[in-house]
Amino acid sequence: MEKYLEKSIKEVIKEFPKVSQILDEYNIGCAPCSIGSCMLKDIIAIHSLPIMREIEMMRKIEKVIYPKREVKMPLVNELTQGTSLFQEKKYSPPLKKLVAEHTLIKRYLELISKIIEDINAASRIDKDLILKGIDFIKSYADKFHHAKEERILFKYFDENLDIIKTMLKDHETARGYVKDLFEGLEKEDKIIIIENLNNYNLLLKEHIKKEDEILYLWMDRNLSAHQVGRLFAEFSDADKNIGEVETKKYEEFIFSLEERFLKKD
Amino acid sequence: MFEGCPGASMQDFREGIKETRQENGKRQSQLKQWPIQLHLISPLAPYYDEADVLLSADCVAYALGDFHKDYLKGKSIAIGCPKLDDDKEVYVDKIKSWIEDAKINTLTVMIMQVPCCGGLLHLAEQAVKASKRKIPIKAIVVDIQGGILSEEWV
Repeated sequence: MEKYLEKSIKEVIKEFPKVSQILDEYNIGCAPCSIGSCMLKDIIAIHSLPIMREIEMMRKIEKVIYPKREVKMPLVNELTQGTSLFQEKKYSPPLKKLVAEHTLIKRYLELISKIIEDINAASRIDKDLILKGIDFIKSYADKFHHAKEERILFKYFDENLDIIKTMLKDHETARGYVKDLFEGLEKEDKIIIIENLNNYNLLLKEHIKKEDEILYLWMDRNLSAHQVGRLFAEFSDADKNIGEVETKKYEEFIFSLEERFLKKD
Repeated sequence: MFEGCPGASMQDFREGIKETRQENGKRQSQLKQWPIQLHLISPLAPYYDEADVLLSADCVAYALGDFHKDYLKGKSIAIGCPKLDDDKEVYVDKIKSWIEDAKINTLTVMIMQVPCCGGLLHLAEQAVKASKRKIPIKAIVVDIQGGILSEEWV
């Protein structure tokens, strides 16, 4: 089993496709990952399942890899001891800040399907609505939020780690969608606008889920109290650059969109 | 049925102490300052400047076998008892001064599991609330036989 723990998840799944279903059962969504070079042992460590759940999952994987081997599964009462599969997540104060920023970004993502429903690419009002959305994405989601991750948070870790490389790649892909969205808007091309807003929506939802449920919790487990304090101070300094007024402006923008698009339901 | 104050109720652990491997040699103290009692310290003492500060209830260091190695190391400290100490408003002012004047990096509050000990965390929270500058606070609760019951950012 040890040799498979040292293999990349892509190789393991290629050899044993059923492993991907087992990981899914435990909310470990590595199968569709575009990079897939994380080692199986790192994936297990980073997700920090309750210990008996981890044993159960590892035994299921072992059974797939070595079907003839006798593998003893934990008893049901052992599995339910102490911890539940979905525990309440507790973040350190700086990471809690990032999770709160995700909440505002997710509120915008939730509105995208409504925004594109009856869009008229030639209408000045609709163009203005998309432009304001682009401003929110570029200024709040990217310059304010992603920049804090790239310039501050990720510097506390080895940036060659696959999970961090994946996050950085997501940021770049998102910037590409926004660039294409802007071009679509200039050309008044409804199809390009809709396609890029949808792509951005899907990418960011998945990206935020990975950060909230896996990456940040793993980071918190690896940051010392001293580093948490430094991060908090650096984030506070970075927040001062955008200022409370600007943050409030984007909160009000999302609120006004919700009033417009969700109230009629 | 009321059984008196849990903080003062008598409990005997003698039977439960297990013989463990004999440890040889001496451990170095991780204390890097004096004084340590919260009434006696000055929040402006140089060892608090931008430090990670540990505010510990008096009993914690006696209950926790590896207090120096695992919790005091790398930190500046102050101790107090939220149940027996007087003039606790002075404590709030001193903690506030740590945050605003000494610009401490983090504050870790270690308390015992007994209900009255929660008062120390409450004093720290009051001080943070009254401060313009914000810092992360971590709360660690120790059980009376030296285990860690919880450790989380507030």
